[in-house]
Amino acid sequence: MLYRTAGQFKTSYAADHALFPVRQDAWLLGVIMVLAWVVFPLAASDFTFQALLIPVLIYSLAALGLNILTGYAGQLSLGTGAFMGVGAYACYKIMTIFPGLNLAVAIGLSGFFSAAVGVAFGLPSLRIKGFYLAIATLAAQFFLVWLFEKWSWLYNDSASGAIQVPNLSMFGLGVAGPTATSITQYYFVLAVVSLVTIAAINITRGRIGRMWKAVRDMDIAAELVGINLMKAKLSAFAVSSYIVGVAGALFVFLWRGAAEPNLFDIPLSFRVLFIAIIGGLGSVLGNYLGAILIVALPVILNIVPEALGIPVSSSVVEHLNVMTIGGLIIMFLIVEPHGLARFWAMIREKMIIWPFPH
Amino acid sequence: MKKLLSTTILSATFAVGMLAAAPAFAEDVLHIPNLSYRTGPFAGTGIPLMNGQRDYMTMLNERDGGVNGVKLSYEECETGYNTEKGVECYEKTKGEGIVTQPWSTGITLQVLPKSNVDKRAILAPGYGFSPMADGKTFQWAFNPPSSYWDGAQMLLSYVSGGNLDSLKGKKIALIHLDHPYGKEPIPLLEALAAKHGFTFMAIPVGLKEMQNQSAQWLQIRRENPDFVFMWGWGAMNAGAVNEAVKTKFPMEKFLGIWWSGHDGDMASAGAAAKGYRAISWNVPVNDAPVMADIKNYVADAGKSDTPADQAGWVFYQRGIAISMFLVEAVKAAQANFNTKTVDAEQVRWGLENLKIDEAKLKELGMGGMVVPFQTSCSNHTGHGGAWIIEWDGAKFNKVSDQLQADRAAIEPLEAAKAKEYADANAPWPMQECK
Amino acid sequence: MEFLHSILVKPFADMIGAPDFLLQVLWEGLVSGVLYALIALGFVLIYKSSRIFNFAQGIMVVFAALSLVGLHEKGVPAWLAVPLTLVIMLGLAIAIERVVLRPLVNQPDIILFMATIGITLFLIGFGELIFGGENKVMITEQLGIPTGSFAFEPFGGFVSIEQKDLTAVIGAVLLVAGLLLFLNKSSMGRAIRALGDDHQAALSVGISLSMIWVVVWFIAGVIALATGIVWGARADVSFALEVIAYKALPVLMLGGLESVLGAIVGGLAIGLLEKLFEIYWGQPLLGGNTETWFAFVFALVILLFRPQGLFGEKIIERV
Repeated sequence: MLYRTAGQFKTSYAADHALFPVRQDAWLLGVIMVLAWVVFPLAASDFTFQALLIPVLIYSLAALGLNILTGYAGQLSLGTGAFMGVGAYACYKIMTIFPGLNLAVAIGLSGFFSAAVGVAFGLPSLRIKGFYLAIATLAAQFFLVWLFEKWSWLYNDSASGAIQVPNLSMFGLGVAGPTATSITQYYFVLAVVSLVTIAAINITRGRIGRMWKAVRDMDIAAELVGINLMKAKLSAFAVSSYIVGVAGALFVFLWRGAAEPNLFDIPLSFRVLFIAIIGGLGSVLGNYLGAILIVALPVILNIVPEALGIPVSSSVVEHLNVMTIGGLIIMFLIVEPHGLARFWAMIREKMIIWPFPH
Repeated sequence: MKKLLSTTILSATFAVGMLAAAPAFAEDVLHIPNLSYRTGPFAGTGIPLMNGQRDYMTMLNERDGGVNGVKLSYEECETGYNTEKGVECYEKTKGEGIVTQPWSTGITLQVLPKSNVDKRAILAPGYGFSPMADGKTFQWAFNPPSSYWDGAQMLLSYVSGGNLDSLKGKKIALIHLDHPYGKEPIPLLEALAAKHGFTFMAIPVGLKEMQNQSAQWLQIRRENPDFVFMWGWGAMNAGAVNEAVKTKFPMEKFLGIWWSGHDGDMASAGAAAKGYRAISWNVPVNDAPVMADIKNYVADAGKSDTPADQAGWVFYQRGIAISMFLVEAVKAAQANFNTKTVDAEQVRWGLENLKIDEAKLKELGMGGMVVPFQTSCSNHTGHGGAWIIEWDGAKFNKVSDQLQADRAAIEPLEAAKAKEYADANAPWPMQECK
Repeated sequence: MEFLHSILVKPFADMIGAPDFLLQVLWEGLVSGVLYALIALGFVLIYKSSRIFNFAQGIMVVFAALSLVGLHEKGVPAWLAVPLTLVIMLGLAIAIERVVLRPLVNQPDIILFMATIGITLFLIGFGELIFGGENKVMITEQLGIPTGSFAFEPFGGFVSIEQKDLTAVIGAVLLVAGLLLFLNKSSMGRAIRALGDDHQAALSVGISLSMIWVVVWFIAGVIALATGIVWGARADVSFALEVIAYKALPVLMLGGLESVLGAIVGGLAIGLLEKLFEIYWGQPLLGGNTETWFAFVFALVILLFRPQGLFGEKIIERV
């Protein structure tokens, strides 16, 4: 009823190609935008910002980057964490070398470094496929984390080997470092994430995106119809690593405030991969849904027993937490292997034809 | 397991019953959060420490009804030694909690800059960032009673018989976890090596290689250092001791920092590791009055998770000592501000004016359990020194008099690193000290 | 020039200069190689019969070892604890087949792979809930594993061989031999191989998929127990042990995902090479700790020349 499409006629090709051919989709997006830009920031507490809103956005961005590579171009990568690390360390070095630089510019630049590293580690994809490639990306994962640990120039030779985000401000407002307020950080992240998302939507539905999808579905066939495999695969690695690198820079500068090499180790890669897969491969929307689930779930599971007044020790809660997340992942894979995005698509479909079943 | 389950169910039903009545019992409570880790790869070392901390707090509540009539509410937030979870816990507990106990060098580094803004003290006893001793720079951070650099310097002076110049031409290796914690002593050891003419080499053990250290010990065999120091944690300690036994490295040349002197880690090597020593700022005193009180009020009442045979562990009793530091800080703050329910800023004052001397320890029933020390505005560590403890095949025994670090050798580096940190994080608030 | 010398000449000069040390390095490499091969074998068996890249192998090692030690702590004698642990692993295999694999038949590889990570998380939480997070001491002596060591003095130096490690190597060889015998001679083993060769054909001649899966996951459980005992005897049993699963991945890349022989050869090769590289190149030149990545990078380089690994099935693509 809410989603009745009857009466919405397309009278031009442009209208048919619009991002939201159904008017209700645009309205829904509008509501979400109002929530994200106005309602949440007004209502959120510091804890909500730091434990839910900011991480959800950053993880969605990282998952979006991975999704371009895995979901659109079909190249499985287990090295996302390390590429986020490249972005973070690049941003840190840029800010040390040019202290006065605008942080937004530095974050934008740092993506190029991770894109370059991504392309370098993407080269084997021209010869290696499937799980072999996945393990090959693990080589990047382990090698880069080792490098973050050993190459002391990267962390300015600090004794602990960790990087600390200094106080940085833009237009007189503190955006990074301990004195920055959560709300400015949130808006900064939201702006970056929105921009990248718009760009990603347009890339993936354009010529390049179609090229990637052809490669994903069958690379030999794609090659036969004249798609340059090298260009397609490497461009996917570049775009994906760029976004992942930006997410990594945001991760450290706008959220964590400090980082040690271990932070970028394999659990982070898996976390991002979970988000992309639970959300839905080959979908932009899915990354957000997946991130909401994976980030918010442990936070909520932690709060529930306390809120109910059940005195369970925090370690038992943590054990149950890990079990629940593991169980839920399996359950989601069984119920809907194509992810939450497909789930939403089905609900939307049903709403459009409601009250008829087919 | 069965016991755990039944207590959980029992307490759950009880709590549901109590839920409606709960607000009626509102009373003065001090919230003491602890970012614990009873899960993950380091749980083995975390559990006895957390148990000790909790049992001391429970004992005070049971015996004295809290501190000067205010109940202590000890609340754990599980991090699994994961910095991401740690920051989440910090955000969650910073509202009510009167202190932050981050329990990992990684988490300490994350919350250190935030402590200035949130005005909540960090208590990191015997860990964290060594330059935190500089109270002028790090006004919200405390790492009593000894820092890692104190520990490294004391180890050197112990093995050299007090004269570091006698180490000239010798070779000292540091086997350490490749993590901020393990790297902590390296700058000091490097500086002292240059000054006193000994060779220093760092041998890192990756987090994934903690249980697979044969390459590191082959390197030690090849280099044949005169002494090996260890900055290990969790599963790494047991792995290293086992490998040392295997490569027949003489135990009298192998010494660990206080986090590597854990009874649980030594169990698998057992008698073969006899003679392994560690430096420690606490030693178990099983007949101390405080231990008897904990047994009476906590263990015998079924309120402790610690098996009876683990009550004599170095780490369990270290947990007790750490809770004591905090409670003494609360007491000092209560006396100074003349209020029962102290807030986070007042607890900071208490930590800064902590005076744990022999008489105080006697009074608390903890004589000889922990080194005496005193903090001040500019000295947030107290530099109480430490003892050497030796593994006799079944337990650790104290084998030395109390050692003191040669502060003159450490202070210049400490000041330089503190300044470096403050400069890198400018504008960094400093505090004036008289 | 000096740089080249330190890469190309000095390591070899060191090897020749201290041959007893080199022997010790090779022995240590061999022992780790055998263990890597063992874990990789668990992966290969499951991949061969079900195309599942089983990431849970690492946590199964921990789980098996913890069950064994946990049972012993409860007062079960060691000779009984081992078969009881095997029963637990069988139960686990059946549970995984019923709850996870059966509903996921025919899903894309990556979904199955993710599901095994889900299993890993679940087992971590479950294991910690039951056994607690403390390090446990492996019941080495109670199982009758000798703990002394043999010392040799070749070339005027000394080489020490732990009896534990020797037992591990012999045990692993016996286990692998038994496994090969089972795969090649028994009807169940043939069924597993048939399933690996051609799913559809195997099903059509009446091989029961779910039965085979249970058997294969149970074998992986047996291998996990063996690995857990050996590794637990070297260091303690703790959840940190879970990461050894990563060590099996480059072995698989090198040997090929479907090849039993590849897992063995790859495991030994990686065990030896990574130890040699770490001792003679990594530690003096790169600051050490290269074992975390060397195997991956090495396997990656080999894959560039042979994309299916040394012994993998040749990839034939049809459009």
